[in-house]
Amino acid sequence: MAFRETIKVPVERIGVIVGHDGRVKSRVEELTNVQLEVTPDGAVIITAVPDAGDPVLAWKARDIVRAMARGFSPSNALTLIDEDSRLLVISLRDSVGTSPDQLKRVAGRIIGERGRTRRVVEQITETKISVYGHTVSIIGTDPGIEYAARAVNMLIEGLPHANVYKYLESMRRSMNRERTEIWETSQE
Amino acid sequence: MSSEEERPKRRDEPQKWGIAHIFASYNDTICHITDITGAETIARSTGGMMVKADRNESSPHAAMQAAFQAAREAKDKGIYGIHIRVRAPGGHGPKTPGPGAQAAIRALSRAGLKIGIIDEVTPLPHDGTRKPGGRRGRRV
Repeated sequence: MAFRETIKVPVERIGVIVGHDGRVKSRVEELTNVQLEVTPDGAVIITAVPDAGDPVLAWKARDIVRAMARGFSPSNALTLIDEDSRLLVISLRDSVGTSPDQLKRVAGRIIGERGRTRRVVEQITETKISVYGHTVSIIGTDPGIEYAARAVNMLIEGLPHANVYKYLESMRRSMNRERTEIWETSQE
Repeated sequence: MSSEEERPKRRDEPQKWGIAHIFASYNDTICHITDITGAETIARSTGGMMVKADRNESSPHAAMQAAFQAAREAKDKGIYGIHIRVRAPGGHGPKTPGPGAQAAIRALSRAGLKIGIIDEVTPLPHDGTRKPGGRRGRRV
């Protein structure tokens, strides 16, 4: 069970990944059964301990490190340990291009005035969103993360915020409906 | 399955390994178990074979059932352990595996197969074909 992978992270996020006295790093290591090696030039080498029960855990470790590199706080990144939650990274470069002004404008659209848009998306879809550099990253569980990604893509495409909120509202209704269906079937 | 108990294992019987190719896109999850060369199919099962609604084909639940089904078939045919190769659509499409990937891996390990090496084999372009949609984007 040799798993070894190197991830490049921004140099200014190294401090977050290691943490105070290496606390975050050792927490990740004990939760996911891996060895993390962080170099000063921003490379994180993940090595899985051989024969560690769950093979998905090494992947989780990679996702957690990537989440922290993409601007999430350690406590939010560690929610990825949960079986159903996933990390989704959307690159703004693909659809916006490389112009710094345009990247800033689109990032602003996603965050909204005083973070209002981002907060609305996070609350309705029950996800965590981080806009960092030229990426938008989402942590969440299954139907919600899809809706959040869709909403973010709508904002990138340039749809009015009101339309995005309307879309999210209708998705919230369908999420609630699904939830009640699950409860009804389990009670029978 | 109880085939493990029914068939007494001889000590000198070689333990057969296979490869599980997991293709996880946003629309479906395919779990394809082959022999170690990758040329001979042993079992194949997809998320779409497990659920009725089209939109659930890529769901973790469908992936789990597909992987479980494939694992059961493979075990019946005498596979002892598997190496895993996960891929996303790649190319100019999404390069991160879809929601079914993790569920499928977990189901394979819970089905009692020994897990060897887990690889990610998403084909990444060294500048390949152009994304569909054209210069002005997709116009709905």
